[in-house]
Amino acid sequence: MSFIQARDLSFSYSPAEPNVINKLNLTIEKGSFVAVLGHNGCGKSTLAKLLCGILLPASGKVLVDGLDTAHEEKSFEIRKKCGMIFQNPDNQLVASVVEEDIAFAPENLGLPREEIRKRVDSALETVGMTEYARHATYKLSGGQKQRIAIAGVLAMSPECIIFDEATSMLDPNGRKEITAAMKRLNKEMGITVVTITHYMNEAVEADRIVVMNQGEIVADGTPEEIFTQVEKLHSVALDVPQVTELLYLLEKDGADTPRGVLHAMDAAEVITKLYKNTRSD
Amino acid sequence: MLKDVTFGQYYPGNSLLHRTDPRIKMIMMIEYLVIILMANSVPAVLLGMGLTLFLMVCSGVRFSVLIKSVKPLIFVLIFTAVINLFFTAGGGDPLVQLGFIKIYKQGIRNAVMMLIRLLSLVLGTSVLISFTTSPLELTDSIESLLSPLKKIGVPVHEFAMMMSIALRFIPTLIEETNKIISAQKSRCADFESGNIISRVKALIPILIPLFVSAVRRAEELADAMECRCYHGGEGRTKLKVMKASASDYVFLFCVTAVIVGIVFLNKIYFLI
Repeated sequence: MSFIQARDLSFSYSPAEPNVINKLNLTIEKGSFVAVLGHNGCGKSTLAKLLCGILLPASGKVLVDGLDTAHEEKSFEIRKKCGMIFQNPDNQLVASVVEEDIAFAPENLGLPREEIRKRVDSALETVGMTEYARHATYKLSGGQKQRIAIAGVLAMSPECIIFDEATSMLDPNGRKEITAAMKRLNKEMGITVVTITHYMNEAVEADRIVVMNQGEIVADGTPEEIFTQVEKLHSVALDVPQVTELLYLLEKDGADTPRGVLHAMDAAEVITKLYKNTRSD
Repeated sequence: MLKDVTFGQYYPGNSLLHRTDPRIKMIMMIEYLVIILMANSVPAVLLGMGLTLFLMVCSGVRFSVLIKSVKPLIFVLIFTAVINLFFTAGGGDPLVQLGFIKIYKQGIRNAVMMLIRLLSLVLGTSVLISFTTSPLELTDSIESLLSPLKKIGVPVHEFAMMMSIALRFIPTLIEETNKIISAQKSRCADFESGNIISRVKALIPILIPLFVSAVRRAEELADAMECRCYHGGEGRTKLKVMKASASDYVFLFCVTAVIVGIVFLNKIYFLI
């Protein structure tokens, strides 16, 4: 079943400029884990904002669980269903104390106090930050702040969370924490996850990758399918994961390597086999 | 440069003052201001100082932290004391006379009074409010105390929200300022030498990037808040419902009693 649907979606920040998003069609299935890849300025962040109704399409339509984002009076419903995590961890924390920040969304929903308490506690537990409930937000590390931001959205109990380059301002450890959290939300809680990123290692974790260039979708498929098209990705200024690149180069040199290998351990196996074969020849 | 700013910083804890209803604390703070500004005789000032000490102990905030919060104000304190010392005239013959400088008994009295008042103001209000009340509690209490004004169309909720966000961003913006200062210094910007005008001018390359980034932050924050279903104060509930307990009222009563005490002590002193 589709959860988010974009139909002939176009958007431009001012009428004089060319469209940032150009007649784009995209369907995101309920419970899926989708990565949107693209180089800087290809419109992927704009797409994220369109998908959850922060920006409204110039033409075309976005339906979130059947609700049209262009309908002002539905926006509250849409936001409840579809949360968003932004790039800068500092700019999305509203309160100075962790649990007060997480309570912000359920407070806005007008839930009774006991329910807010319950949601705050369970959201904190999900992101593994329970012991920080009473801490000051500004003292946390980037990765921890981003986890609090996730908890803040989780407390709304959304069906879908869109991560808009949520890891790009974090150090490698923070990035790992957040990628792991995304996976857990998707696999264990059944939340639809859309992650906008330009980190290949993050995209590999997704079930489906959508590649964007100049406001259009240029490739769409499973990570294995996408990363076999090395030339195509290079042509839209994107890299492939390092191991995939290595095997691609070996293949170009005439080695018989399979395509679509994404993880270091798998690649190691392929290379060992290759080495043994050449020895026995 | 800005490392020692502790104003507006909450120290999480579980002391008596932390647990007091923030609205009661707000009322106590107003009473406290009245006490400090009214105390005009030696016994009254002593009583006021006693109250300040009592509040400091009740806050459970470490002494060293409190001293640190006063440090940036040392210059102001000394300056006011000196002004009062040298420029108060009257009250009989001068005690000391060095050329045109005359020090009167009244001057010494005023200087000491001013020093005690300012110190008490800073310490008292910071333990009552900023150290022991989280910004959200603070703004909630303001919202609740001012809520009668909603009836005449004052946007009380919006005002409270703005305040809590301003407080939340103080540490973030301080950190950012330090970063900008380092960045400018690494490009050979000079903030320390030259006359006052060139030093003020040197601040411009700090302020402009700071403002630009603050505006950008505000835009992003607005998006993030909207995404979390913020739609103004209507129909909003609260995680923490403020409820004044009996002990809070006892606390309030004690502080009110000190006001009465001060009025009384002021009178007695003048009778003698």
